[in-house]
Amino acid sequence: MACIKVDYDKCTGLGICESLAPEFFEVSDDGNLTLLEEEAGPDALDDVREAVAGCPTEALSLKE
Amino acid sequence: MSLTTEHARPSYDPVSLSPLSFWAKSPAEREEDYAVLRRERPVSWHPPAEGSMMPPQEGGGFWAVTRHADIAAVSKDPETFCSGEGIQMEDVPLDILEAVSSFLATDAPRHTKLRKLVSSAFTPKRVKKIEDQIKDQARRLVDHLVETGDCDFVEHVSRRLPQWTIFEMVGVEDQETREIATHAADGMVSWADEDVRAGREPAELLTESLMQLINVALDLAEARRAEPRDDLMTNLVQAEVDGESLTDEEIAAFFCLLSIAGNDTTRNTISSTMRQLTLNPDQRAYLVEDYDARIGTAIDEFVRWATPVMTFRRTATRDTELQGQRIREGDWVVLFYASGNADTEVFDEPGRFDLSRTPNPHIGFGGGGPHYCMGNQLAKAQLRAIFHELLTRAPDIEADEPVYLAGNFMQAIKSMPCRLNLG
Repeated sequence: MACIKVDYDKCTGLGICESLAPEFFEVSDDGNLTLLEEEAGPDALDDVREAVAGCPTEALSLKE
Repeated sequence: MSLTTEHARPSYDPVSLSPLSFWAKSPAEREEDYAVLRRERPVSWHPPAEGSMMPPQEGGGFWAVTRHADIAAVSKDPETFCSGEGIQMEDVPLDILEAVSSFLATDAPRHTKLRKLVSSAFTPKRVKKIEDQIKDQARRLVDHLVETGDCDFVEHVSRRLPQWTIFEMVGVEDQETREIATHAADGMVSWADEDVRAGREPAELLTESLMQLINVALDLAEARRAEPRDDLMTNLVQAEVDGESLTDEEIAAFFCLLSIAGNDTTRNTISSTMRQLTLNPDQRAYLVEDYDARIGTAIDEFVRWATPVMTFRRTATRDTELQGQRIREGDWVVLFYASGNADTEVFDEPGRFDLSRTPNPHIGFGGGGPHYCMGNQLAKAQLRAIFHELLTRAPDIEADEPVYLAGNFMQAIKSMPCRLNLG
C-alpha cells in the first residue's frame, strides 16, 4: 500500500488529480480538496502516481 | 575599498528580446533566438522592453528565463519570485495593473483567498456540468459556420466559443454586452498593436478598455446584489474575505481578469490549432481516425503549439542566483513560455506538431505553482467540443495564413481566413 499526503498550503484546488484518479481525490464545491482514500493499492497505483506527478503546485506526495 | 563588482550587471545580451522588432517576428523566427539563449545563456540580461507605456527605470532591464526547467523552478518558488509587483514585462501603470489583475498579480495569503472565491467554479465536477452546454454551443457555432461558408475563422469560430463559455459562467447575459466586454478585454492586451490602437496612445487604449470593462462589471454586480443567480458574479457580490465584502474595485478586477483570461487564451489556441491541422494533414487524419481516444493527448500538443501567453514576469523578493546569474532583490525576471515549450531538453523534436506526443509536460498553462491556469480544464473541454464539431461537419476545412497581434504578451491571432471545402 502507498500512502497519499496532501500539502494543503500548496493545494489550490485545481482538481487535476481528480480528473486523473477520481476515486482518491475530490474538489468539493467550496474549492477545497478532499482525500477520499489515503492509501492506494497496487491496482490503483498507476493512476495515483500520475495524479501526484501531475499536480502543478506539487501539493501531493506518495509514500511507497 | 574599491567599488567591487558585487552588484555589477552583466552587459545586455546580444540577442535582444526587448525591441518591438523582435516581437514583430513570426513565432518560428523568435524560436531561433530563444534556441541560442537556451543553449548558451539560459538566464540573460536585457534592456527594458521597447514601446513601454512608461519611461523605463534608469539602468533597468529584466532577466530572461528561457529554459523549461528554470521557468518551472521560478514558477514554483513564489516566495522568491513574486507576482504582487506586476506580471507584465513592461512597466504598466500601477493603477491599471491593480484594476485588471485581481489575484493574478497578488501573492499569498491574499492570492489564495481571492483565487478560491472563483476556483470552485472551475473544478472537474463543475466543468463536467457545463460540458454538455459547451458541446451544444459548439454545435450551434458550426451550424452557423456551415451556413456562412468561407469566412474569417477567428470572428466566426474561435472568438465565439470562449466568449459564450466565460460570460455564461460569469453571468453576462445579453450578446450586446458580451460583445462590448470581449472587445474591451481584447483592448487590454493589444496596447502594442497599431491597428487596434488606431491612432490612440497605448495608455489611452488601456484606460478606455478598462472603463468599459468596469462599467459592465459594476452594472452586473448591482443586478446580482438585487437578484442573486447561480453564477460567478453572484458568488463575488456575496463573498467575504477576512470578514469583509469585496469592494467594487475588487469585483471589477475579478471581472477584468476573467474576461481577459477566459477569452483570449482559448480563442488563440483554437485558431492556432486550426492552422496547424491545415499544415499537418497527416496529424489531422491521425486524430480523426479515433477522435475520442486521441483528443485528450492531442489537446496538450494544441496548447504547447499555441502557447497563448508568451510571457509573464516575476519580481525577485531577495538576492538569489539562477543559472550562475546573480539576481538582486527587486529585479524583474521574465518567463518565456514559448521558449520553454520548445526546449529540446524536454521535448523530442519540439518543432514537430505531434498529436501523439507523450508525455507532454508543456508549460502552456504555466510552469506550475500557485498561478497555474485555473481554467485549464474548461479550456480543454472547449477544445474537445469545437474540434469534434469542426472535424465531423467540415472535415476538409482549412485555414490560411494568420495575422498576428503585435506585442510581447499574447500570442494572438487577429484574423485568419478559412475555407470549408464542403464540396
